[in-house]
Amino acid sequence: MLVKLFATLIEFTGKRKLEISGPKTVGELLEELDRMFPGFKKELERGYIILVNGKNIEHLRGLDTPLSDEDTVSIFPPAGGG
Amino acid sequence: MYGNWGRFLRVNLSTGEVKVEEYSEELAKKWLGSRGLAVYFLLKEMDPKADPLGPENKLIITPGPLSGTSAPTGGRYNVVTKSPLTGLITMANSGGYFGAELKFAGWDGIIVEGKAEKPVYIYIKDDNVEIRDAGHLWGKVVSETEEAIRKEVGSKKVRIALIGPAGENLVKFASVMNDGHRAAGRAGVGAVMGSKNLKAIAVEGSKQVPIADKQKFMLTVREKINKLKNDPVAGGGLPKYGTAVLVNIINENGLYPVRNFQTGVYKHAYEQSGEAMAKKYLIRNQPCYACPIGCGRVNKLPTVGVTEGPEYESVWALGANLGINDLASIIEANHQCDEFGLDTISTGGTLATAMELYEKGYLTDEELGDAPPFRWGNTEVLHYYIEKIAYRKGIGDKLAEGGYRFAESYGHPELSMSVKKLELPAYDPRGAEGHGLGYATNNRGGCHIKNYMISPEILGYPYKMDPHDISDEKVKMLIIFQDLSALIDASGLCLFTTFGLGADDYRDMLNAALGWDFSTEDYLRIGERIWNAERIFNLRAGLDPLRDDTLPKRFLEEPMPEGPNKGYTVRLKEMLPRYYELRGWTEDGRVPKEKAEELGIAEFL
Repeated sequence: MLVKLFATLIEFTGKRKLEISGPKTVGELLEELDRMFPGFKKELERGYIILVNGKNIEHLRGLDTPLSDEDTVSIFPPAGGG
Repeated sequence: MYGNWGRFLRVNLSTGEVKVEEYSEELAKKWLGSRGLAVYFLLKEMDPKADPLGPENKLIITPGPLSGTSAPTGGRYNVVTKSPLTGLITMANSGGYFGAELKFAGWDGIIVEGKAEKPVYIYIKDDNVEIRDAGHLWGKVVSETEEAIRKEVGSKKVRIALIGPAGENLVKFASVMNDGHRAAGRAGVGAVMGSKNLKAIAVEGSKQVPIADKQKFMLTVREKINKLKNDPVAGGGLPKYGTAVLVNIINENGLYPVRNFQTGVYKHAYEQSGEAMAKKYLIRNQPCYACPIGCGRVNKLPTVGVTEGPEYESVWALGANLGINDLASIIEANHQCDEFGLDTISTGGTLATAMELYEKGYLTDEELGDAPPFRWGNTEVLHYYIEKIAYRKGIGDKLAEGGYRFAESYGHPELSMSVKKLELPAYDPRGAEGHGLGYATNNRGGCHIKNYMISPEILGYPYKMDPHDISDEKVKMLIIFQDLSALIDASGLCLFTTFGLGADDYRDMLNAALGWDFSTEDYLRIGERIWNAERIFNLRAGLDPLRDDTLPKRFLEEPMPEGPNKGYTVRLKEMLPRYYELRGWTEDGRVPKEKAEELGIAEFL
């Protein structure tokens, strides 16, 4: 699957995009990212916006939202503006 | 009286008369200040049917009770007047330092009436007010004018609100600028200032805003500043990446408008995002008065040197909405708009309309002659036409009337992405339907500021709502957002404080400053009163709700072609009657006598 990272997560990981395969849910993906970049989950402790194919996981199944290798996952730290 | 001074400055430019307008605390308890009191004065004194560019229109410039205090973001002011773009009321709002300085001079606002025979500027130093000749300033761009006035009054402390050539030439979306790049931008307040032959208002003050309970206020303010600093948005993303941090978020959510809202997904979004800007051009942040957030960007480019901005909206309006992805060109164009005093959203929206008219063959090369073709992605369009609009030269004269009138002149008003003739900002409502209802019902037309439903629908503030939920819960949330925005504007604070603060926090600060014992509900009631009063102004100005509370046909009839919102339109017809009912209005969107009486504004019906 394609994982896109934004804002401070780019600085934290040094990457904007990653190809990852294996995780079956968003929760598993976060575990994998935390393994690859220790402290990744801590970066999201104060909140996050996670989209699977542009849909917020809040309106899917949260961290249990299922993933397949064809999906695009976008991960943001909390952000706003206007 | 605390917080407010209890007095406005009234300047009649036709007669040259300068007067002090005092008002009671009772009135402040009803309208709070700034946007609230300005709406009251406008309704009380002006015929809403008046010509917006005639001497009978009034230009009311107001900081709020918390402006000039240590309250976080307490530097904002509103410009309230009848808009030449929409023919309705507008309340354009700006940060920087001008609003606070006006308060230091001992004024809760300025009511400008009439029209000067020749160009003038107003110079205020505390109680001394002069109307000075501005013949030598007419025609100058914003930075030159500021520099000239600063030299003339011999003070580095002076803060100036002014217009550029766009305001002088009555461009219907000209801004009032202050502190270089800060804009009271929307719906043509700069043209109203220009129509009065008023180039600038320069102000210096030496007073301290009177606070009821200084100790309590200080402690309350400290607590709220900490809340903001600890909030991941107000204390994290916004200071680090500026408002353009939204570019990627909105794009990934599939509602970032591209090529005049033909789609909601832009493949070049990252190149013009806050992240990219911080990496390539940012040299420092630029906070407004008393702001702990500091979202303002100072960028440096070889072409224009050091410049401020662009904001998220401007990046989009002068970028993706025109199919343009070159960030340097966007920053340059933003700089140009600031120098001429043009609203970036309406400038971009109008050019996007021209591009779609050109794409569809309604606007031809023959008409353009040697001018650059309106092709998507053509950066030449930016620099060339922005200047033509500001000076109303060639086709710029027609473009200066705004996107709606421009499209209408070709027989295709539906190609203007505007509501009530105000060009829409950077969120496709097919990806956030509550936000769409906000556009349709906003008192000043298609604007995001006064009902920012993107917060709950996309960003999750105060909690996440499904962007495609259109239940009563959503409609009620919109009404709260509208009333709360009116309250925050009336306080003299920035709407970004809502990332971190809730309605109770505003109550705490206002009570400590004003010495009142109001509940949160009392304050929200003031917001509701302001919203309804503005609606009454518009109804009297000729607003027909069933005709005008709507969206461009594109959002109602053309499903989003791709991305996460593929297939969606905005179900406005289902939401609007619920909105009217939950507001306590009639079925045809009017404020009934009972509602007006309940809010104590029946005299204005």
